[in-house]
This record gives sequence, structure tokens and C-alpha cells, in this order.
Amino acid sequence: MDIVLLLNYAIAFLSLFSVNVFIILYLKHRKDYHKIPEDDGWRPMVSVIMPAHNEGKYISKSIKSLLEMDYPKDKLELIVVDDGSTDDTYPLASSFESSSVHVFHKENKGKGSALNFGLAKAKGEIVATMDADSYLKKDTILKLIPHFNDPEVMAVTPAVKIKPSDSWIKELQRVEYLMILFSRKILNFIDSVPVTPGPFSMFRAVVFDKVGGFSENNLVEDQEIALRIQSHNYKIRSSVTADVYTEPPSNLSELLHQRVRWQRGGFRNFWHYRFMIKPEYGDFGIYFVPLNFISMTAFFLLLGLMLYSFISTPYYVQYIWVDALGMSITLVSLVGVFVVISSTIMLHLAIKSFEGERVKLRYLASFVIFYWYLMIGYNTLFLIKELRKESFSW
Amino acid sequence: MERKINFSVYVGAFVLSLLIFVIGIYIGYLIDSSNLQSINQEVSTMSEKMASIQLLLLLEGNSSSCPIYLSELNSLDQEIEKVGYKLSYFEDEKSIYDNDLKRKYFVLEGESYLLSKKVRSVCGDKSLLLVHFYSNKNCSNCKEQGSEILKARDDAVSKGINIRLFSFDGELESPVAEALEAQYGIKHYPSIVVNENTYNGYHNANEVTKIIMASK
Repeated sequence: MDIVLLLNYAIAFLSLFSVNVFIILYLKHRKDYHKIPEDDGWRPMVSVIMPAHNEGKYISKSIKSLLEMDYPKDKLELIVVDDGSTDDTYPLASSFESSSVHVFHKENKGKGSALNFGLAKAKGEIVATMDADSYLKKDTILKLIPHFNDPEVMAVTPAVKIKPSDSWIKELQRVEYLMILFSRKILNFIDSVPVTPGPFSMFRAVVFDKVGGFSENNLVEDQEIALRIQSHNYKIRSSVTADVYTEPPSNLSELLHQRVRWQRGGFRNFWHYRFMIKPEYGDFGIYFVPLNFISMTAFFLLLGLMLYSFISTPYYVQYIWVDALGMSITLVSLVGVFVVISSTIMLHLAIKSFEGERVKLRYLASFVIFYWYLMIGYNTLFLIKELRKESFSW
Repeated sequence: MERKINFSVYVGAFVLSLLIFVIGIYIGYLIDSSNLQSINQEVSTMSEKMASIQLLLLLEGNSSSCPIYLSELNSLDQEIEKVGYKLSYFEDEKSIYDNDLKRKYFVLEGESYLLSKKVRSVCGDKSLLLVHFYSNKNCSNCKEQGSEILKARDDAVSKGINIRLFSFDGELESPVAEALEAQYGIKHYPSIVVNENTYNGYHNANEVTKIIMASK
């Protein structure tokens, strides 16, 4: 059997296997999917750190959403850290200053640095991080707190969503966010939550004493801190009922910029934590971390194989291209079709699992059809920038 | 916390994936078999058409029916060529070889070649007859030669030159191919024969075009 066919088979099998792991995990834990730990009335002091850099457009709405929380006012403090904004972020945030809202201005040194600045000021037993373009629902914190009843839980992630809109690019991301959320909840069942999302996440303050603060030279510090927590074998829980809304990039160029940043930062983080690929780290070590490397390798390999297949297509195929389409059906294409079908089923399950979330069919179809091309775009850019060792910017 | 490994989940996913894979292999095999069967059927149908033209030529053998011979032969040639590409596609892209079907196909091609020669003499058909001898086993540039011939053929057609193209795998132990090789003194692959003149070795599209222009 030739090597090209063998590689195609290997990629097809791996894709199939990883999709099936998720489907089996969902079926196994579907009864626990929406389960929230019982609220025993514990209301700890919560310090919310909001790093902000040129967020004048959104910051007032974000602060208001926090101040309107259904949570005892004397148990909630907000620490806004303006990280060298050049717009009106600082004066806007300062207009909310009170006994529970503290606003600081510092030299621009990046999000990790701003978060650490906030950490040093935080008094709460629970520390939350919140992006300045995110909004909470009134019950978000109340729904997240009970997860800390388990003393081994050091961080809890909410359901980060995007508000429905008529923008194609935003709806595409909305579907993606629901899919990511669904996957994160499934990973929660095997103690493999790999990120504490920047829009909003809650931490037991003591975890920063144990594992250290946020990485200051990292493009995805919200992922790095989660990987560090995982490397210390602490639990991270994921909620699908505590909603947080965030503002997604509104055009393709911004989206590509964001994804390339995520991809570059993500790759470097997983590379740094590759020592976790061992059975001592359970499912996280033997499945999730290797899956990241394998899927990235498989992606580029598949892209190369597709390119090779396109370049090496014999000249005569142009005379029989209609017949060739029919004859080209192979095991790989059949498995490919199955992976697309099962991913679509997963997507359907994902959206169905969130009450009140409805996505128009045209956006669902767009996601299934175009997401692959979007991935090609940002993964290719990621590879080029990594190979050229371009410097990071945030 | 104490980490766990959900072996049962991975074993389940592996078994499920294997099952789907095996079903995929089986369905793929069924589709390939069905495609080959359909090509086999096409070759049989074309053989019947070829026999009809041959019979017509034997019965009448005069130039008054030339328009019929030419029209039938042109359409049959196109069908034969297309089936040849399909067989090549199975070999090149899917590594599926059906030598019996290919030998059957070469018989059809051989008949078409002989009939074309006959029609040339009876009807004064000006079409050029180009035969490509290749090998799938011991020839590194035979596939490329095939593409170069097609490029040259397309170029000639655009200039109003009609070419009837025939390709034979010389190492398939096909009596038809062996007979033609003996007739044209083919010693190695690739080689081409244009209007009964043999050109041994690889020729790029420009060179093939020159041969075509010199032979018209």
C-alpha cells in the first residue's frame, strides 16, 4: 500500500477515534450534563479583576453588568486595571469608583501583568477574572460558586457565549463558541478542562499561592494558568448554565488576528506542558495533551496530502472528471463523510444542550462548510509566523 | 486529586472506529467492484459496436458508406479513450489493477486501430494514428509521456488535425500489444508510433507536436 494512502487512512482513523471519544463521553455523562452542585448558601468574598486596554467602547456596560449581580454587594469587589489605554477607558471606569469598585492605571505591560497587578490588590477568597468587553447575567456568580463546595476545585469556568446577531462572521463564531463550550463540558468529565476563559473565570484565591500568578509573556495566559493548575493536579470545573457574553471580532481580519494569537500561544503552552504526557496525569496526560499535538500534525499533513493530490492529478483526469468524482469514493472519503456527519450530530447536540440558544440553519451550514477553510487560514498563518519566529503582540 | 484513566471509553471509541473503518473498507470495495463491473460492461458493449462496424465494412467494403463508418468510428474512439482513462485512474489513484479487463480493453483498442487503418485506406480518412507503448512496471517517465502526448494531441486538435490515439501496456502479456510491438520494432518504453513510423524514447509535448506536424 502506498504511503499517501496509508497516511490518509491514519488521519481518517484518528479523526474518527477522537470524535467517537467525545460522543461516548457525552452518552456516558449526559445525565450529569446540566447538573449544578447544591447551593449550601456559602457566599465568599469575590474579587473581580478586570484588565482593560483601550476598551472604552464596552467597559461601562461590562462594569454595569457586574454591579447588577444577584450577589451580596458587601461580598463583591471590582478591581479595574487600566493597562496603559490611550482611549477613554480610564475616565469611564473611574466614573464607577466606589467603596467596592477600585480603578487603577498602570503602564502598558500586557494582560498577564495587569491581572497580576489586580491579584496583588484582591482581598477575596474567590478571585474572578473578567474581560472588559464581557457581560454577566445576574445569576452567573451564584451559579458558579457552588462548584467550589468541592475543596479540590480550584477554578470554575462559565458558559462563554456570543449574543445572536445578523452578522455572518459573528454567528459563525457563536456556533463555534457553543461547540467549544460543549466540548469543554465533556472534557470536564475526564478532568481535562484546558482553559479558564478570559471573558470570565473564577479561582480559589489560594491557588495563586500554590501555583503562582498569571504568565506575563504569554499570548493566551488564560490557557497557561489552566494548564498550570492541571499540572498541579487540581480540579477545574466547567459550567454550562452560568452565562457570560463576550464581544467577538467583527470582521475576518480581526478574527484571523485573534485566532493566530490563540494558535501560537496555545502551541507554545502545550509544548511547555508536554511533560504531562504520562499516565500520572490521567486522561489529561494520555489523551488530551497528545490529542493537541496529533491533531495539529494531522491537520498539516492532511493539508499537504490534499495539495499533493491536487498537484499530482494526472492530465487525463480533465477528460473524465465527472466519472472521476464517482470513482474517487474511497474508504478515506467515506470515513470523511462519517466524520462530517458525526461532527454535525455533535454540533446539533451541542446547540440543543443550551436552553434558549437557537441558530439559523444557514449559519449552521456555513459553520460545517466554511470552518475548515477558516482553520486552513489561521493555521497556515500560525505556521508561517512560527517558522519566521515573528515576535508576539497583543 | 487522584487522576483516572477512562480505559473503557478509549477501548469503546477504538472498537467503534474500527467497526466504521471495516464497514468503510467493505463499502469502498463494493463501490470499486461495481465501478469495474460497469467498465467491463462498457467494454463488452463497445466490442459489440466494433463488431457491427467491422461487419458493415466486410459486407460493403466500398467508399459509399464512408460517412457512416467515420461517424461510428469517431464516436466509438471517444468512448474507448474514455474507458482507457478510467482504467488508468483506477491504477494511478487507487492502485487497483484488473489485468484481465485491461487485456480485454487492449483487444478492443487493437480492433479499433486496425479498423482505423482500414477506414484510412477505404475512405481516405486523414486522421493521424498515434500509438503509445508504455509499461507500468519498468518505466519511470511513461506516465509523463502519456500526459505530454495528450497535451500535443489537444494542441493538434485545436489546429484542426484529427488524431486517433491508442495506448498499450507492453508488459501486460497482451497478445494484441505484443503483436503490434513486434510489427513496429518496439524495444523499450516509452515509444510512440505515428502513422506507422516508430519513435523510441521519451518525447516532450513540443517534440510530439513536431512529429505530428511532420506526419500530417
